[in-house]
Amino acid sequence: MNLFQQNLEILRRHNRALAAQVLKISGGTLSIQLAKTGVPTAVVKNRAIHSAYDPIREAERWAEHQTKDCQSGETLVVLGVGLLYHVEALRTKLPQDSVVVVIVSDLSELVDALSVRSLDGWGDRVCWVWGHSEQMARQVTQQASRLRLLTYEPALMIHQQEYDAFRLQLRDQLAKGVSGRLHIMVVGPIYGGSLPIAGYVVRALESLGHRVSWVDHSLHAPGYQHLQTIQDDRLRTTVQQRFSDTLGVISLAHVAEDPPDFVLAMSQAPLSMAVLEQMRRKKVLTAMWFVENFRHFAYWQQMIEGYDFWFVMQQAACLEAFKNSGASQVSYLPLAADLSIHQSVDLSIQEQQELGADVSFLGAGYRNRREMLPVLLGHEWIFKLWGNEWDRAGVLETVLQRNGARIDTATSVKIFNATSVNINLHSYTGIGFDPEGDSVNPRTFELASCGAFQVIDHRTLLAELFDESMMGIVKTPEEFVPAVRTYLHEPEQRQVMAERSRKRVGMSHTYAHRMQTLLSTVGLASPDRIGAILQGERQAESLLARSRDCPELLPLLRSFPKTDRVELVDVARTIRQKGPEATLSREELLVLMMDEYRQEKRDFL
Amino acid sequence: MSRTLLLQLARLGDLLQSLPVITSLQTHFPEQQLDLLCAAPLTPICKLFPGIQRIYPWEGERWHGFARMEEGGNERLVEEAGQYVSDFAFPPYTLAYNLNNHPRSILASHLLSARVVGAGDRGPLNPRLPPWVEFLQHVARERGANRIHLADAFCGLCGVSPPRVIPIIQAHDIELPPDLEQIVNDSSFVKIGIVLGAGDADRRVPLTTLCRLIEGCTDLLPNCLCVLIGGAGEREAALALEDKLSSQYLSRILNCVGRTTLPQLAHLFNRCQWVIGSDTGPLHLAVACGARVIGWYFSRARVHETGPYGVGHYVWQYRGSAHSESTDCSREKGGPHLPCSWPVLETLQIIHNQHTGENPSGWELWNSHHDEWGMFYTNGENSEIAVKLREEVWKRLSVKGPNHQEFSTMNAMTAG
Repeated sequence: MNLFQQNLEILRRHNRALAAQVLKISGGTLSIQLAKTGVPTAVVKNRAIHSAYDPIREAERWAEHQTKDCQSGETLVVLGVGLLYHVEALRTKLPQDSVVVVIVSDLSELVDALSVRSLDGWGDRVCWVWGHSEQMARQVTQQASRLRLLTYEPALMIHQQEYDAFRLQLRDQLAKGVSGRLHIMVVGPIYGGSLPIAGYVVRALESLGHRVSWVDHSLHAPGYQHLQTIQDDRLRTTVQQRFSDTLGVISLAHVAEDPPDFVLAMSQAPLSMAVLEQMRRKKVLTAMWFVENFRHFAYWQQMIEGYDFWFVMQQAACLEAFKNSGASQVSYLPLAADLSIHQSVDLSIQEQQELGADVSFLGAGYRNRREMLPVLLGHEWIFKLWGNEWDRAGVLETVLQRNGARIDTATSVKIFNATSVNINLHSYTGIGFDPEGDSVNPRTFELASCGAFQVIDHRTLLAELFDESMMGIVKTPEEFVPAVRTYLHEPEQRQVMAERSRKRVGMSHTYAHRMQTLLSTVGLASPDRIGAILQGERQAESLLARSRDCPELLPLLRSFPKTDRVELVDVARTIRQKGPEATLSREELLVLMMDEYRQEKRDFL
Repeated sequence: MSRTLLLQLARLGDLLQSLPVITSLQTHFPEQQLDLLCAAPLTPICKLFPGIQRIYPWEGERWHGFARMEEGGNERLVEEAGQYVSDFAFPPYTLAYNLNNHPRSILASHLLSARVVGAGDRGPLNPRLPPWVEFLQHVARERGANRIHLADAFCGLCGVSPPRVIPIIQAHDIELPPDLEQIVNDSSFVKIGIVLGAGDADRRVPLTTLCRLIEGCTDLLPNCLCVLIGGAGEREAALALEDKLSSQYLSRILNCVGRTTLPQLAHLFNRCQWVIGSDTGPLHLAVACGARVIGWYFSRARVHETGPYGVGHYVWQYRGSAHSESTDCSREKGGPHLPCSWPVLETLQIIHNQHTGENPSGWELWNSHHDEWGMFYTNGENSEIAVKLREEVWKRLSVKGPNHQEFSTMNAMTAG
């Protein structure tokens, strides 16, 4: 019996289906070579998958590093197969009862490994998962909820796309099983475009049942804006910076007062690196949802290492730029709509008269809009232009509404509803369409959510969010006028398309969806903290089940409703309610002691 | 032989002021073995305390760590904290004496012993305070005419009378850095310790004043060596002080600031004839090590509660900050008052035994005495009534708590 057959026997004993499948597949993904130490190593497209000198030692170091943060009770999911040196090292290092799952995205790669490396002594203690990404994710989540992903990058890169797909599937599968409630602190900006989004995020998180503390810095906007009266540029900038720094310290004080599980900052939130570093020292996880174009606003580079998680609305180049700049975790998270705000509304006759039009555009006066929108003038339709920053608008002044005043959210929803064809032209500081235009602006989701019809400029990321049956998509500036003309005369088609886009938002593109994704991503990367809470491990029911070794806590935990999240502070409060004559158990005294220290905030600022 | 535990989780000053109660407990209960639980950084100095069998460190940082631990649930926290406590292998205590009215100290005492004397004696959740704790709280709040020393109040709290013999710490065996060792052990010098540090900024003596003091000492005593005392935080101040001194005095100072551990500092104090300063923590250590102390008390420091514990010590009390017989209103009036002048000359006169009795403006000189009711300070005025009031306080407060041992405090005291 050769090595492959011996390995097959080991596989067959625990996983007949996999053994059968492996028999049908031939290898060839990995090019096998001999390392300096005489053991096999592998290369793919001239890239080494394992050390060319000592793959065993390299794998041991990998396992050592990966297991540093692992907690008992976690299922370790390994991404990346290669020649399995790392899996063997991991298996050897871990206790017998720990569970190691290896995700096999390509059986041919596994066949290569089985041909040159023995599973003897460890392979039978590995759970092998293969198939389509969705199928694999389901298998993994059915086995355990507390997962820790370990990536062996050299091998993972061979099938990067498949593993990315698996990760997304896993995240979504885990999101479905979320029952735990987090305390999330949302830190908003002082003013600007991300301010309303902060509000939508707060509402979405609350609708998902989480406790949200909103640090709303817009309260300080009048004071901040008053600083504009300082004439000297350098002086003004310095004072504004100090003002912003103080707001950061205020945020920190809120964290100290009522420590959250997680701080979610929106773009332009006034959190300095010093504040973020202090949060990290205090073990507060932080994330930033950067809802700006990373090419236009580069301040993220100075903050990149301050946040534990970054969420961005652009893909590929953006993700790469953030990773290259030092982001530890960066994920794509497009914008969305808030169904309770962006919805169909009935307008009065007066409102219809003022806000209604055949064709409208609502937005700020960026250069490309100033250059393109005049083509919509002088046609058979009524065109209205809404929004601010339209000073010196030239010919567009004739259609500019309310003298270019800023339009609030409620009014914008009415304008969307009252317009037959809404023009949605993404901002760009150049001429024409942004050649690098990828992200989709919030207006896209908001118009769709209102059931309003829109003609939109093409964006590379639009196709995965909406399709051409839901909105008019133009690929060049020249297509705008014909598209508007066509759709203006097809009211029924417009209605059908708008309705489809509305449904798509409801199904996939609300802020609640985004927050589910965001929290699942954080949970997956932090299985022992956020992940554990999301999976309900801090709920009374779960704590009761795990407190068998601590029977003195059982009566206390039973006093809480089963699905309530129970933290140290809650248990301590219950103990204190026992009254002055109570005799306390050792465990109760320990809880009170820890609570005493928990309350101390003297070194937080 | 039964084991008892004394809990003192406060800072250095309070820990050293617990020496008298340790001595008294030994005297009254010689059959008991007494262990000590104190803040972890202070355990090295406790090893020099006479009469303590075992010393256990209270690691606040570890507890902070448990409280901040994000991973796992409550059961894991309790398990880890429980394991941490178990790892110390505390023996079963029949009794714990708790000196701090702080929830952590109360909880710790109940965690380690079924019976507690002192703060929290009626249970960990019972807000009723023992009479001595109530008294101390009242003194802290009102100040007034109190003459009971904190160290003696600790004795009362534990149900014993103040010690008849003042406890002394011997640290001659502790090794010093070689360069210090040689000078410190040179008996031809009269060594005067100058304490630089004072914790809070409002309790620091200005460097120029300390310069004058050092210059005065060396001018007055030709064989005098001024030993600069302080922690790592005072290193820069010590260097600045050296800068300010004219070169002729530099050979007469020994800068030990930031160079000694607490036991080494005790060794230094063992060798000092006098120690002068405003930081009560080191002053308490100095007096426990047999040095004579001259304290400059201003800001919140008050002679009657926290004056050096022993006979033959002096305290300059600044009246502007805490008048001896009146309520201290300085804090209500926007912070402590700092003295405008300092008793430099008068301190030198004391050392030279030539004090004329004249005090600088705003300062009062108090000197220490000891009797059956413990420590007290007088200032030469008619303070007899106030001193006698102590007996009344002791009789009023010496009510046995629920867990006090079968020892009659009053009998022992009156018998003495």
